[in-house]
Amino acid sequence: MSGGSAMRELTVIEAVREALAFELERDERVMILGEDVGRLGGVFRATDGLFARFGGRRVVDMPMAETSIAGVAVGLAMRGMRPVAEIQFADFIHASMDHLVGEAAKIRWRTGGDWTCPMVLRTAYGGGFRGGPYHSQSVEAYYAHAPGLKVVAPSTPADAKGLLIAAIRDPDPVLVLEHKRTYRAIRGDVPEGEYVVPIGKARVARDGRDATVLAYGMMLHESLAAAETLAAEGIDVEVVDLRTLLPLDRATILASLEKTRRLCVVHEDTVTMGLGAELCAIAAEAGVLDVPPVRVAMPDIPGIPVDDVLEDAVLPNRATIREALVRLVDRMPSGNARAAEAFDPAIPQASSVIDVAIPEEHLRMAVDALAEAARAHPSCNATFSWSGIAQHPDVVVDLDLGPSSPAGARGTITLVDYGKDGSDLAIPFVRPGQTAAVRIGAVRGGRAYVACAVDHRAVDGAEVGRFLATFKSALERRAAPEAVRAR
Amino acid sequence: MALTQAQRERAYRTLALARALDERMWRLTRAGRAHFAVPCSGHEAIGAGYGLAMKRGVDWLAPHYRDLAALLALGMPARDVMLCFFSRPSDPNAAGRQPYAHFGSRSLHVLSQQGPQPNHCTHGVGCAWGSKLLGDGSVTVIAFGDGGAQKGEVHEAMNLAAIHALPCVFVVHRNGWTQSVERALEYATETLVERAAGYGMPGIAVDGSDVEAVHAAASEAFARARAGGGPTLIDAACVRFMPNTSNDDDTRYRDRAEVEAARAACDPLVRARALVDAAFAARVDAESAAVAEEAAEWAEAQPLGDPATVLEHAYA
Repeated sequence: MSGGSAMRELTVIEAVREALAFELERDERVMILGEDVGRLGGVFRATDGLFARFGGRRVVDMPMAETSIAGVAVGLAMRGMRPVAEIQFADFIHASMDHLVGEAAKIRWRTGGDWTCPMVLRTAYGGGFRGGPYHSQSVEAYYAHAPGLKVVAPSTPADAKGLLIAAIRDPDPVLVLEHKRTYRAIRGDVPEGEYVVPIGKARVARDGRDATVLAYGMMLHESLAAAETLAAEGIDVEVVDLRTLLPLDRATILASLEKTRRLCVVHEDTVTMGLGAELCAIAAEAGVLDVPPVRVAMPDIPGIPVDDVLEDAVLPNRATIREALVRLVDRMPSGNARAAEAFDPAIPQASSVIDVAIPEEHLRMAVDALAEAARAHPSCNATFSWSGIAQHPDVVVDLDLGPSSPAGARGTITLVDYGKDGSDLAIPFVRPGQTAAVRIGAVRGGRAYVACAVDHRAVDGAEVGRFLATFKSALERRAAPEAVRAR
Repeated sequence: MALTQAQRERAYRTLALARALDERMWRLTRAGRAHFAVPCSGHEAIGAGYGLAMKRGVDWLAPHYRDLAALLALGMPARDVMLCFFSRPSDPNAAGRQPYAHFGSRSLHVLSQQGPQPNHCTHGVGCAWGSKLLGDGSVTVIAFGDGGAQKGEVHEAMNLAAIHALPCVFVVHRNGWTQSVERALEYATETLVERAAGYGMPGIAVDGSDVEAVHAAASEAFARARAGGGPTLIDAACVRFMPNTSNDDDTRYRDRAEVEAARAACDPLVRARALVDAAFAARVDAESAAVAEEAAEWAEAQPLGDPATVLEHAYA
């Protein structure tokens, strides 16, 4: 950051206007072009007063034609001007996309540096004010996928000024995404006069140690609000304001994640292929996460609905962010004991059921019978991996006797028995690292169902039946004298 | 206004070299020695006409992809044309990053050309707008095909240029074909000159095979633009003698007799030969063939790209 003298409190829209006026004053080559930017001062009043002050040669009302607003800005920039184009709503920017992605982003590269395209395109994005599907969209993912372009998304009045001035002075094309809800809702101190915020630098907006939130635009403020709530609940969240979306500030992002080891990305854009996907990939590739990350984003729907209840239901907010952070902080790191006992949906299961005659008190003999059956069928006392199936020389039975006495995690096979409180018949799940689990149902009139599930990659269906038959005969042989007495 | 004899000879040299380079490039692609050719045969008088009427180093060109003759008129050496053709990293047009015909040269005032047609039309308008704001008296030529003219891009470009009376000249190379699609399926009028009136600018219809006629029309339009009179549309009719590009097969959609008849009737090179001495023309033809051959041999021998440089110039 450079410059900066006296501070005043401004809104985001006032800060944008101040940056535009400052640059128009400083550099004759700077000009503004867009729809309604002249006498009206822009639909959001970003250019209010600039037409009167700088005249119609430099603050130009353009025909309602977004393709040429961008295309003409490309030509002006190549010719040596410093055009600052405005697309009224980000929803209309796609008519400009060919010129942003196909032209502006490529001109320096495709000419080996002979030509450059120092243009700025500002646009208002984001929902939360009942604008419906064509006045609320977030478009950053499309443009952050265009090398050669720079994409900034200020969240505060100071950044709105400093990043816009940096964009106008940048030798390459810059897309400035201004969240329209921040325009008047967000106030903050802004330095007077010369003030530049460098492109490509994120900012730690709130220091914390339990998890990192990466956010921008209005979601930065919602994330900060969620972090304040969680602080009162004893959870200390770090919030990073990305500020520049392309190129991303990997150093700041990774420094935060190395500290907190937990990542939550928040954006209004839809989730699939959104910026969160890239941020999670950066974290995963760097190996800085102890638990899987979470994304808080718009669901994958084509637009934002205008209905009050529906819009509120789909936009992320401080409550949904808080909820996601609680889940994130609760997540257990993979590789420890609790994770090992978790159900693994990747294990394809086969199962079989058999009926046995046993007394109500049978746990001791059941463990012995299971050990006997496991030794007879070593594929059921094994660990599957894609490089091979390891059969274990010893049988160690993990006993799962119900929620108050869950199984340990050191065994080679699992026996589930909830006694008379259990259901008559339920299929157990095979736990990670094992290939079989056996469950004895509640004993009714001296009989019970025994269900067995196996990892189908290691044990075929016929083998389950043979394993169960061995278990049944081993169990009934031990139970027979008592069973006879019971009769 | 007729050209002086010196201007006629210069025009003939430009046309002859464009044709020689064009034919050389076509043969080299057919021989598998290069990836891609975009013939300009039949269009040469248009580019040469405005190219020679432009003030070199002052005026600007947003080129059509069949504008080889204009590039030569503005001073691009044959060797640079062939570097572009072979897509060598030392090509001043596109640095080995774009195929042939994506012209561009800052020093020659030729805007960098893109693939999707005709995106450069709004770039040309921006360039002309810059000229007006900077007050340097330069004019921008914005050239495109009649296929490209069907896109909204050209409408937006012409409309804005007329609104602000920008110093530019729109030139449509009207050859009647959009790759394989005939004129009647691209636009319902016979020519495009009548569109000028719809934007409030003058339109000039010209025989695009006649380099003197194009030069005269361009000179008139430049004078108007320089005097603050705004843009002009020049509709330059011509015949495309060759397939759209080396990847095209025009035998699938074009009658050979029609092509041969057109070539016989309106070959700009043949017509320009009538403007100069026969011996001069024969000498220039021979020289042009030699220059084209030498340039091709030299350019083909220039080094291919270094992978270490592929990331360069994404950003400043």
